[in-house]
Amino acid sequence: MPNRWDTAGTKRRIKRQAMENNDASSPERKLQCSDVSKCFQLLERILDGELVEGGPQLLQEKLDKCQPCFAHFHLEQAIREVIKTKCTKQPLPDKLAESIRQMIQDAR
Amino acid sequence: MSEVQRRKYSQEERSTIFDGEFMPHIDSMYNFAFRLTFDEDDAKDLVQDTYMKAFRFINSFEQGTNAKAWLFRILKNSFINDYRKKSKKPATVDYQEVETFYNSDDVDYQSTSDLRAESVRDMLGDEISNALNGLAVDFRTVIILADLEGFTYEEMAKILDIPIGTVRSRLHRARNLLKDTLKGYAQSMGYGRNEEED
Ligand SMILES: [Zn+2]
Repeated sequence: MPNRWDTAGTKRRIKRQAMENNDASSPERKLQCSDVSKCFQLLERILDGELVEGGPQLLQEKLDKCQPCFAHFHLEQAIREVIKTKCTKQPLPDKLAESIRQMIQDAR
Repeated sequence: MSEVQRRKYSQEERSTIFDGEFMPHIDSMYNFAFRLTFDEDDAKDLVQDTYMKAFRFINSFEQGTNAKAWLFRILKNSFINDYRKKSKKPATVDYQEVETFYNSDDVDYQSTSDLRAESVRDMLGDEISNALNGLAVDFRTVIILADLEGFTYEEMAKILDIPIGTVRSRLHRARNLLKDTLKGYAQSMGYGRNEEED
């Protein structure tokens, strides 16, 4: 997977940017987003670690200047985070790995 | 042509690939299978079938490439072909129907815009799990692949045999549906208007 590094780098950068901009509301930000649908989908792609042309700068601009984008970004980030960290992992049943190895042995 | 070219692994190579590249993914595979079937026995069968198929078709796997995505694709196909029909859960809504129904993004944005990141972070693992499990299987799948397993859009496109654009839009709608559910939880937990003031 050649773009793993880029993805990780992008995610780190996003995290740093988000932390630097973590005050919930700012007079600098406009309260109406000019194109909610387009902006939000863009933010989501960046959060998913996809390479977006000019991604870091675009993200910075949205976080600085647009309140709906700012709120959406933090909500989407929280959702990804809780799914990743809180969703209960189903423990692997005993002997499943063993029985698979046995099946393969028998099939040979 | 190289893709069609048939390799023939020796018995030793097959064991190396199977143990070294396939078996390490068994936890993720079982977790995925369980979230598709919601049944321990079905999930076990599904994982076993997947590994049997992986072994049988091992010559079409190129050593050192993305084994996890390759295995997930087999599992997902097995699920669709063998399990979806006899699933103990009532029939889920079809992709097409759901995707058309939830096509109005702006409505979704408005309806979830008062869900706050802080309320989401305060939710319990069970609530998050339940919300995820409540999604139709096709929406559940993309969230599992992206968020739990960390697959890229490109890998998901291959696993699901759909274009990247469809991965993107399906994931987007899946998250909107999930937010709807979480918003309901947040409200019932008492994250009302008063707390939103501060
Ligand atoms: Zn905006």
